[in-house]
Amino acid sequence: MSDASPCIDAAALDDAPARRGEFRRGLSAAVPVMLGFVPFALVLGAQAAQKGLSALEVPLMTGLNFGGGSEFAAVELWTSPPHLALIAAMTALINSRHLLMGAALAPWLQRLPLRKTLPALFFMCDESWALGLADARRHRRFSLRYYLGVSAGLYLVWIGCTALGAWLGPRLGDVRAYGFDMAFAAVFLVLLRGMWKGWSAAVPWLASLIAAAATYLLVPGAWYVAAGAAAGLAVAAWRAERAA
Amino acid sequence: MIGADTPVGAALVDAWTAATVVAMAAVTYLTRIGGYLALRNRRLGPRAVAVMEAAPGCVLIAVIAPDFVSGRPADLLALAITVLAASRWPMLPTVLIGIASAGVLRHLWG
Repeated sequence: MSDASPCIDAAALDDAPARRGEFRRGLSAAVPVMLGFVPFALVLGAQAAQKGLSALEVPLMTGLNFGGGSEFAAVELWTSPPHLALIAAMTALINSRHLLMGAALAPWLQRLPLRKTLPALFFMCDESWALGLADARRHRRFSLRYYLGVSAGLYLVWIGCTALGAWLGPRLGDVRAYGFDMAFAAVFLVLLRGMWKGWSAAVPWLASLIAAAATYLLVPGAWYVAAGAAAGLAVAAWRAERAA
Repeated sequence: MIGADTPVGAALVDAWTAATVVAMAAVTYLTRIGGYLALRNRRLGPRAVAVMEAAPGCVLIAVIAPDFVSGRPADLLALAITVLAASRWPMLPTVLIGIASAGVLRHLWG
């Protein structure tokens, strides 16, 4: 519960050793995730090239948008010329989880000015957010430099490898066959273990898993993340209500 | 960055493509700052705090939920191995075990 007031003891930790090392610490924490990014970025770039996007337009998309799920969907829906409104709407749906992620991060960012948080949030993807938040919970303080180190590694790998994929194009085979997609499940599972506070606290997660899996099986499109998260939060709210 | 088989015209950035990319980027950025801006200066009550504490785990598990219901036995077994690895080892070994188990099991199982 003390997670709710992260800034009270933050002052005591301001002299935390080696602030300069924070960026590098974030960068090395991101290495396993970067490993998982490479094959997906190559595939995305190759698929985009097949849809007619140039080797310049691909990094333009991945560099400005920087959200893998929405980029795969956009490339899937891509026509020449593209349906702008349809693609923007799908992007909003797939990335709506960011609203919740930003909200969860808000208490940790209270001491930072908008001129720092607004540019930093540009780099908030599932992995940079989860690593940054897990680190903040562990050290009772959000380290912007650590988060930026994570972000820099992920961003450069994503942009570079999507551009490379567009350039290599169909010369790439099916990288999924080598099992690289399991990297994401592995990263997320390790992050979940870091947030583990016992079976009781995990009940909303279970609700989210069941609702998301059922939605994924029954409803076409990307609704499953929003449905799962909504179910999990509803269960958390109901349990808090009962406990009060 | 222009490949040998890329048509010369495709090297330029098409105006409508650029507009679509900018629209995507704007929408995505709004989702990134929206939740933060809404809660930035709020003090949450105990119930809202309990909900927000559950939120990160709910989002993470929902994103990987399709892996839990993939119909392929090789994928499910690889996921089970990855769950076991994640419950005891740090990030890098778990990622390597996950990739290796999925790659090997899919190869064996077809």
